[in-house]
Amino acid sequence: MLAWLRKKPALYDDVKRFNAAELPASTTAARSCRYLALDLETTGLHARQDHIVSIGWVPIIEQQIQLKQARHFLIKPPVSVGQSAIYHGVHDKDLKDASELSDVLQLLLQEFSGYYFIAHHCRLDRAFLELAFQRYFGKVPKMYFIDTLNIEWYRMQKQGIVMKKDALRLPNCLARYKLPVSAQHHALEDAYGCALLYLAQLKKSHAEITIDDMLQQSR
Amino acid sequence: MEVSEVSKFLAQTIPFDQLSSAQLAETALQFSVYYCQEGEALDITKERLLIVRTGIYALYSDKQQLLTKLEEGDFYGYQLLLTGLADADKLVCEEDGLIYWLPAAEFHQLRYQYKNIDIFFQRLFGRRLHQYKEQQGSRFTLKVSDIVQARKIAISGEHTVQQAAQLMTDKRVSSLLVEKNDRLIGILTDRDLRTRVLAADLPAATPVHQVMTPKPHTIDKHAYLFEAVQLMSRFNIHHLPVLDKDISFSMITATDIIRSQQDHPVYLIGEIHRQTSIDGLEQCSLQINNLAQVLGKQQVPAHEAGHIITTITDALTQRLIKLAQQELGPAPCVFTWLCFGSQARMDQSINADQDNALLLEREPTADIADYFEKLADFVCQGLARCGITLCPGNIMASNPELRLSLKGWSGKFAKWIASPTPEAILKASIFFDMRAVEGSKGLFNALQQDILARTNNALFLFHLAQSALQRTAPLSFLRNFILEHDGKQKKGIDLKKRGISLITDIVRIYALANGVHEVNTRQRLQQLALLGALDSKEAQNLSDAFDVLAHLRWDKHLHDLNQGHDASNLLDPAILSGLQRHQLKDSFAVINNAQSSIKHRFCKEV
Repeated sequence: MLAWLRKKPALYDDVKRFNAAELPASTTAARSCRYLALDLETTGLHARQDHIVSIGWVPIIEQQIQLKQARHFLIKPPVSVGQSAIYHGVHDKDLKDASELSDVLQLLLQEFSGYYFIAHHCRLDRAFLELAFQRYFGKVPKMYFIDTLNIEWYRMQKQGIVMKKDALRLPNCLARYKLPVSAQHHALEDAYGCALLYLAQLKKSHAEITIDDMLQQSR
Repeated sequence: MEVSEVSKFLAQTIPFDQLSSAQLAETALQFSVYYCQEGEALDITKERLLIVRTGIYALYSDKQQLLTKLEEGDFYGYQLLLTGLADADKLVCEEDGLIYWLPAAEFHQLRYQYKNIDIFFQRLFGRRLHQYKEQQGSRFTLKVSDIVQARKIAISGEHTVQQAAQLMTDKRVSSLLVEKNDRLIGILTDRDLRTRVLAADLPAATPVHQVMTPKPHTIDKHAYLFEAVQLMSRFNIHHLPVLDKDISFSMITATDIIRSQQDHPVYLIGEIHRQTSIDGLEQCSLQINNLAQVLGKQQVPAHEAGHIITTITDALTQRLIKLAQQELGPAPCVFTWLCFGSQARMDQSINADQDNALLLEREPTADIADYFEKLADFVCQGLARCGITLCPGNIMASNPELRLSLKGWSGKFAKWIASPTPEAILKASIFFDMRAVEGSKGLFNALQQDILARTNNALFLFHLAQSALQRTAPLSFLRNFILEHDGKQKKGIDLKKRGISLITDIVRIYALANGVHEVNTRQRLQQLALLGALDSKEAQNLSDAFDVLAHLRWDKHLHDLNQGHDASNLLDPAILSGLQRHQLKDSFAVINNAQSSIKHRFCKEV
């Protein structure tokens, strides 16, 4: 019991340091901000029952996706991967090199303070992350998420485009911008796809669009 | 961990395709990815390698000249990386897409690590240098304007020969342009002063116009230098007034030319005009293959090489006609020696056969028929001995059906145009690319006018278009090459039948529909774009595609000659580099597009 209490402050400090890092002002040009595109693969849709299988991320700095810092982590499951393995192509035997979720989250906090976070349909990823942060760090860091799906929806609405079913799925969004579509349901490939989509969305905005505008559009 | 979307792309891109998957994974990490929007100028001042992932990017020289277009798998920036020298280029995105950047340190590490990658970029750099050389015009394809300056030394016809001699002495020249109201009316040379003034004992006050050479041969300042050589050796003259749009600009002399290019292989043309027998011409013609090799080594662009080869065929024809007349006596009437097909278009290749005919001032009856039969036989057989094989389709002046008067030819064309049948059109289309090689230009112009006045005929154009659409570019639905067998069971792509000819057919239709006089495919395209008959982008695309195909064929022919084979048009795409394959596919795609516009414009129900 006491050990648990002692451990908590160290991790808690990571969150505090992360929160203390300054984010660019809301009037900053969105093109000059730093972003981390990320994607989670999970065993299901419910953050409370299901758990994270893998996390992939890739940063964007000065409108360039930095492949050198692209990461993909398999997460050690609390229980067997089970049925959804077919879905994600991950099997128990592949998990030998898997990481502890807390280590991965810690790395995220340490390396990407001052970044905005991007995900396609971020609500789910966010729920899983927040719960995990709460569980391991005792506190949810202040992460600002931009949702490429919402931006896409906002823009298509504004242009009066009638959306077909599935129009907002990541591969379909990428195809609309003639961007390469890679293997799906792989956390890093999807994070990369999401980063590509965001680069295109940035370019299709006026040059001085602020980070605040992007956050607004992604609501 | 690498993004597999990136490493997969690298695995398909030369030179990275040689790396193992582990090496690829490592390499894929080194890039950064950038999204570029149409109209955006890329920052190419930093030392880094650019790889095009998607999109189209136009590269312009500092003179705003389009050098090339970069597409998927193309590179830029290696020159700066390899030499430290920046270009004044501009790279502008034409179609949204993705760019991969590789920083300088990682680029050099890669070169250091993988020898083949290093060699690849060195070669690419070499080729790029060549791109620039083409822009400046290589030494062997100099133009008149490249060696003469605007130095017009002129006198009027009313001045005395003494004043002329004084002017020549002051300006240290051996000849003068003689002008009247700013129009060139003659030239006066050292030699004229000697033979026509001193030797004839004329007074120093004799006016220039009395002793000058009136109506001299002239050359345009944009003509190739070897055309000047050809004119001089053909007419045994040493001075040629150079005109700029019909206004005198300068004078070019034999000495100027010799000074500029003493080892020019096209001296062959001069040699040809000095021959006095068919044997001699045959000897000259043996050098053609050699010349082709030299042109190849000098990396002369294919269209210029085609021009040179054609000029040699022209010279052989002209000389043979001279020799025939020495044997048969002067012609009983004015005539024009016509050529058709590739010779007419000035894009002859090494393996071309004869396509020629005679246009006569009078009806070919009795003595006239007899004379021209002999002349035609003499020339056609002579050409055959010089390696320009007899036409298997018998489109030759030795065929009596192709020795006709103006009326005869006009009737023949009128029939093709007014009542076209698919078979007739297929056979006749070659005749619509026509040029005068020797004899009366006036007679030829009359025939050409007559034809062009008729060709804008919907039914005729319909059939012409139908026949042009018979064959398609060998590209499958999924953009793969479709290979075919030749007689010897070799597989490949026929660059002529499935490429070059398709473009010449397409361009011919537009030219005939719009009364364009030009016969050369590139010139036709320029003219069509100028007239607005063809969208300038489409004209440029067709011209580019034509150049790519012509270049591949020219390379293939040189390769065949090198190996001691006959030049063949069948290309095995497996030997091409990724870049060339890409260009070839693009060229075929251009043909497909152009064919569908032809269908749309000329093949509506008539």
